[in-house]
Amino acid sequence: MLKIENLHATVDDKPILKGLTLSLNPGEIHAIMGPNGAGKSTLSYVLGGRPGYEVTEGSVTFDGADLLAMAPHERAAAGLFLGFQYPVEIPGVSNVQFLREALNAQRKQRGEEPLSGGAFLKVAKAQADGLGLSMDMLKRPVNVGFSGGEKKRNEMVQMGIIDPKLAILDETDSGLDIDALRVIGEGINRIMRKPDKAVLLITHYQRLLDYVRPDFVHVLAAGRIVRSGGPELAHELEREGYGALAA
Amino acid sequence: MMLALPSTREEAWRWSDLSALPALAAAGHEGGPVDADALWIGGDEGARLLFVDGRLDRDRSRPGPLLTGAVDAASAHPLGRLATGEGWTLALGRDHAAPGLIEIVHVATGGASHLPARIALDEDAQASIVETFVGDGWANRLTRISLGKAARLMRAVRLRQASGFTSLRDEAELGRGASLVTTMLGAGGAGTRIDAAVTLADAGAYAEIGGALLARGEQRHDAAIVVRHAAPGGSSRQLWRAVADDSAAASLAARVEVARDAQQTDGEQSLRGLLLKRSATVNLKPELEIFADDVKCAHGATVGELDARALFYLESRGIPPQRARAMLTRAFVADALDRIGDETVRDAFAADANRWLGEA
Repeated sequence: MLKIENLHATVDDKPILKGLTLSLNPGEIHAIMGPNGAGKSTLSYVLGGRPGYEVTEGSVTFDGADLLAMAPHERAAAGLFLGFQYPVEIPGVSNVQFLREALNAQRKQRGEEPLSGGAFLKVAKAQADGLGLSMDMLKRPVNVGFSGGEKKRNEMVQMGIIDPKLAILDETDSGLDIDALRVIGEGINRIMRKPDKAVLLITHYQRLLDYVRPDFVHVLAAGRIVRSGGPELAHELEREGYGALAA
Repeated sequence: MMLALPSTREEAWRWSDLSALPALAAAGHEGGPVDADALWIGGDEGARLLFVDGRLDRDRSRPGPLLTGAVDAASAHPLGRLATGEGWTLALGRDHAAPGLIEIVHVATGGASHLPARIALDEDAQASIVETFVGDGWANRLTRISLGKAARLMRAVRLRQASGFTSLRDEAELGRGASLVTTMLGAGGAGTRIDAAVTLADAGAYAEIGGALLARGEQRHDAAIVVRHAAPGGSSRQLWRAVADDSAAASLAARVEVARDAQQTDGEQSLRGLLLKRSATVNLKPELEIFADDVKCAHGATVGELDARALFYLESRGIPPQRARAMLTRAFVADALDRIGDETVRDAFAADANRWLGEA
């Protein structure tokens, strides 16, 4: 589904990713772990197409298409969802308006009919209920006045409504207490644990992986994957730390 | 007749571009059929006046409490003084409320038109008036407003001329406890000069004047507002949002004057500008002149660009870049337009702003 080959990327002319290769097949959940500064967030932004993150070498294909040639909104319409480590507050734009517009823009890009207001609200309510976010909050301006945990729940509500093929989740577990972590983990499993979908979980800590069991774990250090393995690798990292493995 | 216009060397006119006016003043009206049907927004209750090139179209007007003809208004203002002769008057006696929403539509078909207006509300009288400007040419208007004790006026102005120039001069005097709320939206293609002098002449008056000015292309919007607190216990709010795209310029000079006797004045001023391109200009000039010592005057002025992180966030969810920019721009002007109390007027303003953004 996603094929990253020898990816090099710079931010402000500074090389961050230095030859990263990774493949995700449908039905798989991959976790990328690594120390601070390894390039984890850069990878998520490069895949999402954020301006300022420049690919200097390598390729990324998504379902066979050149992902890097697509604008961010086209990547979304193609089925890619980027869960933000720091979801942005947008005063003056309501969540529901934003999400309905986002969903219908994607549907339009795919040649599908727009969802009516009523049909959309039904979908939105189901997802909000599943993640313990009230409809009241969904009507408020995007992330404004939300706690850190509420912002992350909102990311998952958005993911549920948009129902993507591939989710890149950047430190979705950061800033969550143990109850919120469980809710988020269950959300990821419910929405994304399907034979035709894939997830790339980017995380610093192992604890989210207690709730979302990865099929593969990779260690990212200094811009490259330095080690790959099964779920047991996450526990090994937790015990031994990154230092030994990255060396 | 020679047209004497202020020079940009004068401080109050430094951001103005009046260069199109002499040619417009010399040109004739194009005339032709005028379709105003879509411009009425209120129900059946309110009075309506349709002016085409400054002349009343009687067949498509229903004056109600409005009088048309010679107007008791005069001004020393350089543009306002040109608006003499026939216009419209709303004079309401004590405790009278004008039914519904009063609507005045000004259609210009080229050339220039000058029109005076007078609004005089006696004690406890109230009215809501919306004026809409469309077409091409120079529409120059003078509006003199006097509000008696506890009188209330809601005034809304939709500046939607496709081209040409709209110049407005408002002069208002508020009596004890009177309230004047003025909201303007520049969402057309014409140049604009808005001048307002609002005086809180007696104790406890409330004045609000603000709105949003949206400019693109080579357009110039220019507002110069003076709110003068001459009596104690008054409150005033000036909330303006200026948006400039391409090589357009939107300028706001907003002044609050507090006289020595105007203790316990509560003034608030919020001026914010948004540049949609680096080649555009927003000028903000907040001014406070305070002679009383027991006064609360909050003010803020900022100019910025759209938040790149917010744009990427919207785009990453599937919203095309142009639409994402429109959504954030709309959000930027929202607090200037959402505060309009009358739902019909608020919806019309929102539709005007959305139309402007959709044309990007």
